[in-house]
Order: sequence, then structure tokens, then C-alpha cells
Amino acid sequence: MDISVRKRSQVQLIQLRGQLRLGQAVDELRRTIDEALGEKDTRFVINLAEVSMIDSSGIGLLVRCLASTKQRGGSLKLVKPSSFAVKTLRLVGVLNLFEVFDDDDAAVESFA
Amino acid sequence: MPDEFGGGPENSALSELLDLSMPADTEAMAAVVDAISEALARREVPEQKRLEVALAVQEALANAVVHGCDNDPSKQVRCRVRSDAHGRILIIVTDPGPGFSPDLLSDPKRRENLYADHGRGVYLIRQLMDEVHFEHSGNEVRMWKY
Repeated sequence: MDISVRKRSQVQLIQLRGQLRLGQAVDELRRTIDEALGEKDTRFVINLAEVSMIDSSGIGLLVRCLASTKQRGGSLKLVKPSSFAVKTLRLVGVLNLFEVFDDDDAAVESFA
Repeated sequence: MPDEFGGGPENSALSELLDLSMPADTEAMAAVVDAISEALARREVPEQKRLEVALAVQEALANAVVHGCDNDPSKQVRCRVRSDAHGRILIIVTDPGPGFSPDLLSDPKRRENLYADHGRGVYLIRQLMDEVHFEHSGNEVRMWKY
């Protein structure tokens, strides 16, 4: 799992590439988000366009971080999840918890 | 009469595709999941079906490693893959743990569980596969994809 992070307009824009699953991938993303939360960042956009699979561990991380950001007045929004990722999120009933966008710009601007 | 692996389509001869063992280490799971995906791709299993099987295997291996083996890499998890003449796929994941009762798991789609960071693995397996049986007190899961 490759993780790249940029900051745009006070929004942490996280680009993932690979599979978001139990182990190193989820651990690294958790560390990335926790560090940003520690720096008082509460606005996150995660681009999932190149994530072919999200397992239950990855889903658990995303919903936990969504809850953490919302408690601090921010949010965590998703960009371009694959059709299988959408199916997976829907199967466990959490898809509707997230705002989902077609591109990074729209997701970042939605925080304005 | 149940076949050798029980709990699935009856009277169908099964051919072995893979019989893999891995240490109970989360970093060892990807190789097993990828090997199964590649074996199914060689048999021209459609991509959507491969993805669903891969995620179900990922969840079964995660349960085996984390709960069945307490993340102890000196323990082994076994994963067998069979296919019948109709293209139906049977996957059996076995761990040395004491097992568990899947009926006691709470529904992850209940409102109070939506933001939980765990508790979705077995639910996902049941949604992604066509038939799922927990055997031997729950330390073996047999999953069919038709």
C-alpha cells in the first residue's frame, strides 16, 4: 500500500494505492491519520481510485476516523472508490455514512 | 451423502487447486490471498467473483490469525481450495484455536455498531459467499462460491 499525503486549503488529501487490508496497510494509514489529528487537522479527503479492495479492518479504520473527525468539527470524505469498494461498504451498511466525490477538487471544495 | 468436505453441493467430484499453510502473521496473508486470486484467474473465473472470493478469504485468514492464533507466528493457518466440475469453488480455512460461536456475533449493521472499528469480518464472509459453514467448534470455516 502506497500512501501519499498533501495538504490543500487546510484539508489533508490522502492518496492510497493498493489494497487497504489488515496489517501494514491499515497500520500505516492509521498512523498517518492519527498524526494529523494530533496536529489538530480534522478535515480529510481519502482518494480510493487505486484501491482495489478494502477489508473489514480498513472499513473499521475509516469509520473510526470519520467519527473522530466529526467529534472535532471536521469530516473524512471519500473520492472515487472502486465499484467493489462501494459494494463492500454498502454490504456492511456504512456507505451512507460517508460523503463520496468524483474528484479531489470537489471533495476539498466541499469543506469551504 | 455429504462429500469429503461436507456442508456443500453433494455428489460432485472436487479437484484440488491449492493447499497452502502460512504462519499466523498478518503480513503472510497477502501471499495466500494473491495465490488464490491467481489460481482462479487461470481458471478464467470472472473478476467480480475473484474479488468476492479474495475478500472472503482475507477475512477468514484474518480471523484465523488474530482470534484463532492470537497473532502467534509459530502457529500455522491452513487454506485449501477446491473446485468442482461446475466451477463452484470451496475454500477451507483452518486454525489451531479453540474456535468460536458465530451465532453470538452482533449485527454490524445495527445503528449502535455502525461506527465500531471491528466486528464485520464474519458478516462480510456470509454476504460474499454463497454457503458458509463453521466446523469443529468454529476453528474451521468452509466457504462455497457458486
